[in-house]
Amino acid sequence: MKNETRQTNGTDAILSTANTLRWEIGDNIHDTLVESIYTDAQRIAARTVTVPESRPAFSFDRQLDRLITSRWFGFPLMFLMLAVVFWLTVEGANVPSAMIASLLVDTVHPWLRGAFSVLGSPWWFTGLMVDGVWLAMAWVISVMLPPMAIFFPLFTLLEDFGYLPRVAFNMDSLFRRAGAHGKQSLSMTMGFGCNAAGVVATRIIDSPRERLIAIITNNFSLCNGRWPTQILIASIFFGALVPAHLAGLATAGAVVAVAMLGIFFTLAVSWGLSNTVLKGEASAFSLELPPYRPPQLWQTLYTSLIDRTAIVLWRAIVFAAPAGAVIWLVSNIHIGELSLAEHFINNADPFGILLGLNGVILLAYIIAIPANEIVIPTVLMLTVLSAKLTGVGDGAGVMFELDDASGVADVLRAGGWTMLTGLNLMLFSLLHNPCSTTIYTIYKETKSVKWTAVATVLPVLMGLVVCFLVAQVYRLLA
Amino acid sequence: MIDPAKALMLFGIIAAVAALFFLPKIGLVARWKRARRGMQRVLIEDALKHIFDCEYKNIHCTTESIAGTLLIPTDQAAELLTRLAVMGLLSTGDNGVHLTADGRSYALRVIRVHRLWERYLADETSVPATEWHASAELAEHTLTAAQTEALAAQIGNPHFDPHGDPIPTTSGEIPPKVGRSLLSLHSGEFAVVTHIEDEPETVFAQLTAQGLHVGMQVMMIERNNDRVRFAANGEEIVLAPLLANNLTVAPMTEEEQRITAPLSPLTTLSVGQEAHVLSISKAMRGHQRRRLMDLGVVPGTMIRAEMTSASGDPTAYSIRGALVALRRQHAEMIYIKKD
Amino acid sequence: MTMNTQTHAANCEDCPVHNLGNLKKLGINMAEFDFVVALAGNPNTGKSTVFNALTGLRQHTGNWPGKTVTRAEGGFVYGAKRFKLVDLPGTYSLLSTSTDEEVARDFILFGQPDVTVIVVDATRLERNLNLVLQVLEITDRAVLCLNLMDEAKRHGITVDARALARDLGIPVVAASARQEEGIPELLKYIYEVATGTYVCRPHRLERTAPHLERALTELTRRISAEFPEIPNARWIALRLLEGDQKIIDAVRNGELRSLIRRTPIRQNEPMVNEGAV
Repeated sequence: MKNETRQTNGTDAILSTANTLRWEIGDNIHDTLVESIYTDAQRIAARTVTVPESRPAFSFDRQLDRLITSRWFGFPLMFLMLAVVFWLTVEGANVPSAMIASLLVDTVHPWLRGAFSVLGSPWWFTGLMVDGVWLAMAWVISVMLPPMAIFFPLFTLLEDFGYLPRVAFNMDSLFRRAGAHGKQSLSMTMGFGCNAAGVVATRIIDSPRERLIAIITNNFSLCNGRWPTQILIASIFFGALVPAHLAGLATAGAVVAVAMLGIFFTLAVSWGLSNTVLKGEASAFSLELPPYRPPQLWQTLYTSLIDRTAIVLWRAIVFAAPAGAVIWLVSNIHIGELSLAEHFINNADPFGILLGLNGVILLAYIIAIPANEIVIPTVLMLTVLSAKLTGVGDGAGVMFELDDASGVADVLRAGGWTMLTGLNLMLFSLLHNPCSTTIYTIYKETKSVKWTAVATVLPVLMGLVVCFLVAQVYRLLA
Repeated sequence: MIDPAKALMLFGIIAAVAALFFLPKIGLVARWKRARRGMQRVLIEDALKHIFDCEYKNIHCTTESIAGTLLIPTDQAAELLTRLAVMGLLSTGDNGVHLTADGRSYALRVIRVHRLWERYLADETSVPATEWHASAELAEHTLTAAQTEALAAQIGNPHFDPHGDPIPTTSGEIPPKVGRSLLSLHSGEFAVVTHIEDEPETVFAQLTAQGLHVGMQVMMIERNNDRVRFAANGEEIVLAPLLANNLTVAPMTEEEQRITAPLSPLTTLSVGQEAHVLSISKAMRGHQRRRLMDLGVVPGTMIRAEMTSASGDPTAYSIRGALVALRRQHAEMIYIKKD
Repeated sequence: MTMNTQTHAANCEDCPVHNLGNLKKLGINMAEFDFVVALAGNPNTGKSTVFNALTGLRQHTGNWPGKTVTRAEGGFVYGAKRFKLVDLPGTYSLLSTSTDEEVARDFILFGQPDVTVIVVDATRLERNLNLVLQVLEITDRAVLCLNLMDEAKRHGITVDARALARDLGIPVVAASARQEEGIPELLKYIYEVATGTYVCRPHRLERTAPHLERALTELTRRISAEFPEIPNARWIALRLLEGDQKIIDAVRNGELRSLIRRTPIRQNEPMVNEGAV
């Protein structure tokens, strides 16, 4: 004991000496220290490094930099690069997606049903596990895995090459005006692949305030799970407005417009946050432009593929599987004549219609919180269920997808969908809460219930308000 | 279904009500927060702070000066003083009021929170200098002891606030006042600004608008009863003596270089040119300053403008072999010397 | 006292010197390893390439406990010893207050890795030395990996590795990790420093400004008197003068006492008297 008392006195004396000395040496010790370190560094470097007199070897980097950051070519080059990445993702994902879907949904699903009935499982258990849990997982994997496995390696290659920091450099003034960091352009673009990945990617922003802004607004980037919804609905409601040979163009135009709207909201909300609630958060800017280096192609492809597959499978099991169970249960548990789903749909319909949506969409977005990619199959199943359509679908609680868009259009129109419903679904798909994987990721990254709640609730509120306003204006004009 | 026009109208009304409540500065919530300032505890703490300030500066403190500072009628101020005396925080002697040991330590606690908060805002946030004081006036009455210590730890236990005032330690230590008024300098004398008085707010706003900040080098050019003419970091500034009196200065050390000509900021460097870093303005603070120095921007560093972003800002500079992008607002605070 | 076991460990010449207790707190499991090696460096120096070259596919990633900072861990065997390699976040400095720098700093200070490998970009040595000199203030067991030598050659830059090793007092390996060049030498030096065959004489900051120097000397003296075992009293003094809360806490709660001097004790030197603390 005696010993410890002595120690405490000794340490206290050290700390109080430190305090007194700090009053004396004033406030710029950090400056002094860093200057001394660099003085030593400079001396050592001068003794050991020889640099050629003229620096011709640097010129390739500088030439490339001049092109990439040039006033005229900088932005067009960037858009071209992004367009190529997206095109490769969307086009390249089609075939593997269809293959995985045909394997997991068309082959394994019926086989599982058979296997369950052979083993004597009761009908409700087969339904819950095979139609609910298995189908949701199958959907998530087939929709999400191929685009993720293409998009992220491409992104990593661009980053390793050194191009992405230049994008941040070019985009910074736009984000600076919104009170954000130029690197947010990168996490935002990553969000187009997957919002959860985009949120993790904000780690490159080392200033707390700007990072928080980037996390909260990442959801305004339309992720891979939402692109198929956008494309399908746009082709049904906008592609149909124009002659057949222009349909593809109209569809693409509508989807790009929604994505652009997302970027607009990203900037607007960033501006709003940085001037109000986040005004008092720490802020700093630093951005190094590393030299161009040839990326390590195979290693990147390999690690990226392993990483993404692991993430998608984890997500399918942890988040999509329970969602599948819930979807099956609400469609098959009956109170009186109707299922839970129908009760909800009937009650929510007036509110949904006020917003230019409907009860089916609201329910689909609630039970599909874990995974945006099952929204369309869920909407189709619920529409068939609530509108009592016959001849399509596989029964209550069994999500399905149709091969051709016109089939989907028929189901939706039979469910009372109009042009306004299609438009507002696209808007609501852009502006609603992040999926549960993303919410979970936001919590893990911010360690704050408050900011997770803001990031979750803010987009839904915006979505409800925007849909409401659009519906009223549409109705006034129509 | 509701008529769309009516629905829109209803929405407008709801939005207006929400705005009435939540608008920053003029909303009801903001007003209510400000109104809490008038509470008794706040008055007590403000009074103690004022009396401490008088004692620290060796000036005479009166009931009137307290009433003036706290914006309350004189009789209420007198009442307040009696209350403080009853609480044992104050003793009244023949030459005015004095803080007791308890009163002094209470005042120092409040001052510690105030100055720490100002330092926090200055170093870590983008809150403008003119809002620091007002925000700290609120924080000093609301932060708990634990919150205060957490804040101090987070920002590296600073010893000085951004105005140059020392921050009392947890145990209530504070060094004696040093430095003298800018007015005491004679023509041609060099000094460093150590303190800028942040009250009254309008005066402080005028001084910051001139670009004055703690750590700046000044040289007196001439002074008379109407005006004071001096160079701050090489640029000429003219102030009324009353304003100039709010600046405290200290002599420079022998090692420091005297600035004799206006400083040219890094933004004057055009692409392809290079120069040496002379200094980083003390107005660049906290994390941003440390980061910049980590990247190698220290006095003497050779810096070369390499290229400008496609949107015109930021600019990339070659610093010790690496290419670093700096925003214009930061580059303006780095001073260079072209060879 | 817990110190005794550690003092024992330091008494044998080729024994590991890392701080088991603190490593456990930092989430590092040393059950199957003999030595722990930290990998530090600026961003964009090819640090992860060096990491991959050293560990191959034997690695996994996760987060630092309680932090949203990615950590990669891997292992390798060399000279019949099992090494655990821990990738620290890429930082420009250890002095600022960002989470990345805190994580890197705490690992080197409290974990006391047997070796810290500092990866630097040979084409921007001067800027990278900022971090190197800071690391050498904390630890005296380090190896410098002068990476991207191929790039330097392309740009006509030459670095005198031997002169650099002399100036810094630690082994310097010229490497191009992408081509696996220099990796065998790096392994060899890691082994030698870890086992104490190579004793580093790290460069320490010679002097700072006079007014700071006075304060620093005074405080260092007091710290050395109170904590005779710690290897980096001057650096601790610097941190105290900067008001670093983590270090203030470590002084106050005695965590600093868990740190031990890590230079292997040669035979002719007196053994540490266990009862004398």
